[in-house]
Amino acid sequence: MLSKLPPKIGVRMPGKWRFLLLVAGLLVTGVAPALAETPDAALERLLDEARVEAETPGTCEKPGIDRLVRIFCEGKIRAGIREKYPLFGTRVGDVRFGYDVDVARAVASRLGVEPEFTRVKAATRIVLLDEDKIDVVLATMGHNTQRDSQARFIRPHYYQSETVLIGPKELPVAGWEDIAGRSICVTIGNGSNAQMISHQARLMLFEEATVLPVRLADETCMLAAQDNSFFASYFTDEGFARRFEPKFGFSQVPWGMGVARTGSDRLAKVLDLMGQVFHRTGVFLEIGRKNAIATGFLEAQKEVWARPECNTSEGNTDPACVLPPLDAALEPTPFVGNVVAAEQWIAERTGLSVSLPMFKTMPAWTLFQSGIINSLYLVVGALGATLFFALLLGALQSSENSIVQWVFKALTVILQSSPVVLTVVIAAAVAQEFFSYSSVVAIGAAIVALGLMNGSNAGQAIGEAMHTLHAENAGKDVAETKLFGRAVSRSATQIVSFLINAAKGTPVAAFIGAPELLSALTDITSFASGRATTYTILLIFYVLVVMIVVWLCGRLRVALERRHA
Amino acid sequence: MTQFPDLYEFLPQLLAGMVVNFEIAFIALVIGLALGGLLSLLSLSGGLLKAIVATLVGVMRAAPTFVVMFFLLNAIPSGTAITIGELSIGLAPSPLMAVALSLVPYSASYVVDNGIEAVMQLRRGSMLGALLFLPNITRAFFVLVMSSSTGAAIGVNEGIAVILRAAAPMTSLGDKMVLFAIGILCFGLTLQAGFFLMRVLQRRLGRSALPAG
Repeated sequence: MLSKLPPKIGVRMPGKWRFLLLVAGLLVTGVAPALAETPDAALERLLDEARVEAETPGTCEKPGIDRLVRIFCEGKIRAGIREKYPLFGTRVGDVRFGYDVDVARAVASRLGVEPEFTRVKAATRIVLLDEDKIDVVLATMGHNTQRDSQARFIRPHYYQSETVLIGPKELPVAGWEDIAGRSICVTIGNGSNAQMISHQARLMLFEEATVLPVRLADETCMLAAQDNSFFASYFTDEGFARRFEPKFGFSQVPWGMGVARTGSDRLAKVLDLMGQVFHRTGVFLEIGRKNAIATGFLEAQKEVWARPECNTSEGNTDPACVLPPLDAALEPTPFVGNVVAAEQWIAERTGLSVSLPMFKTMPAWTLFQSGIINSLYLVVGALGATLFFALLLGALQSSENSIVQWVFKALTVILQSSPVVLTVVIAAAVAQEFFSYSSVVAIGAAIVALGLMNGSNAGQAIGEAMHTLHAENAGKDVAETKLFGRAVSRSATQIVSFLINAAKGTPVAAFIGAPELLSALTDITSFASGRATTYTILLIFYVLVVMIVVWLCGRLRVALERRHA
Repeated sequence: MTQFPDLYEFLPQLLAGMVVNFEIAFIALVIGLALGGLLSLLSLSGGLLKAIVATLVGVMRAAPTFVVMFFLLNAIPSGTAITIGELSIGLAPSPLMAVALSLVPYSASYVVDNGIEAVMQLRRGSMLGALLFLPNITRAFFVLVMSSSTGAAIGVNEGIAVILRAAAPMTSLGDKMVLFAIGILCFGLTLQAGFFLMRVLQRRLGRSALPAG
């Protein structure tokens, strides 16, 4: 067995023996894969080599030694862990608890050194690695393709979380088909936000995850999405568990220990092997159970790493054994370079930090373009619907049949009495009774709602104008159609005023999930930076659109009034 | 199957939510009166200031409340503050303040329009015409109450948010419609009461303008 070789073999063996051993090793691994080195043996060998190297006089003083050797030199491993992440990393006084903490302790114990804990946060964990303030990150860190360039992730992964949708037990939500048009509270920057957007959910953004359970409890949020590891501790609370339940999970993310990309090659290899052994022997599973976290992943991994093809020293590089990182990289736009250059140009000349995320990645760019187009459809649709309902309801309110007259007057009062948000929601609820939810249905419902609200008011003005005209023309033989035309001209100011109001009201469509620009930009900011710039662009866009509508309506009013004159 | 909410529980919650709508409208009106009053004075001074105020009011009129609300909530990162000595003033508005401030462009521009008209009436010697400013402001207040329902979109616990929360678990459109009708009734009564108040004010002003004896 290779593990029985003298500990100093890698360092001090004479050259010819080392060559023979290498040839023998190649023969063994190449010709007889069944005899591949076990992770236990490889781990032991690497640890022995490092220990011996650390014991060699002068080694510890050398600059640039691998962090594994330095760990043995110093007799401690510096682990970056979280302090406010229940069940994974918490601290009460000097006592630390949690799965990550216990894994760090197990790693230190296997190395035969003391653990030294440093508090890290999501924003600081990789920075502290780069600055050599810590040796390893064990801090609920999801492994994604973007982070691969920032840290060396240890494989196999020591845990896996998923985004879970939490809501009241009585809320009928079981899968993606129940999500469309619903409002979900999320944290900005959560990688799974894009997936919820693609299922037409409406996101309500929060900066801190800790706000989500509070907002669920006070019923501000009907649904909240966050890592299941985050909600795990809340479900240990009886009151919370009685009211809420996980609806379904998605967007699984493997968690990895992380080490620095440079100067940590041997430490990384040792931790890779240790991870294999810890999974196979159930160390991770035992720690998971001790900390009362979900252990489904750990149980599955125990079986994976017990498989003969995975239980080798190279198993941690075998795609059949290890999990891939979450692919979090978004496709850049062809003009992303120009956008970055423009941002820098603005920053250099004005000192303003402008971020334009909608132009940098293809998903954001697509959302932005469709948002603008949908907003314009909405504005045009709302104007058309307002005009249509104004003429229709105006005509009905001018009817000589008093029943018809009063029915539509009552409808106008009801529409006037309903706040705009409620009217839009009612229109969406009715639309969903007849059609399955889609963007087109949401836009259509919003157009009808805005048209009815504003059209009923404008129609009322036409009706009143018609009554004055009837009074003025009593006894004269004037055709009703002619009078109606004059009534429209007479109420031109009111009609124009409600047309402008309809255009201003179109962003409310975002409330029922219509994918107009406000929705699109909210979605973009949920997975990208640059909120200030994004919402400034949004405001400018809508102000310009409304100003154009005001100008066009001004011309319409002049035309109508000329007709009347 | 979902249960219709217990009205004994639901109605107090709805009324408490509507109190929030009134709070938002009150804040928006007070700030609107201050800003609108100032802009009216600047406009009345004529010249370039009048043109600037006219442009500003034009932009304020064109700004959709819903968009302004999201802008206010997102453009200033939470935790942003001005520190003067030991005093730290937070600049990021709370959701409730964001709704109230988003209504200020409307209320301020309304005050400018009506304020200038009132001053013109005064200059023409018509006290009654000038006093019409009061019922007009009452009308604006109730429009603001209705418009404050946009707060539901950002988690403000106002009246519409209460209704939508109660409706969320319901699967039957009929049940939802009954609930929405209750909401419309409550908001409608408020609005009509407001307009009634406005008419009473107008009538009283009319009577007070008549020569005594």
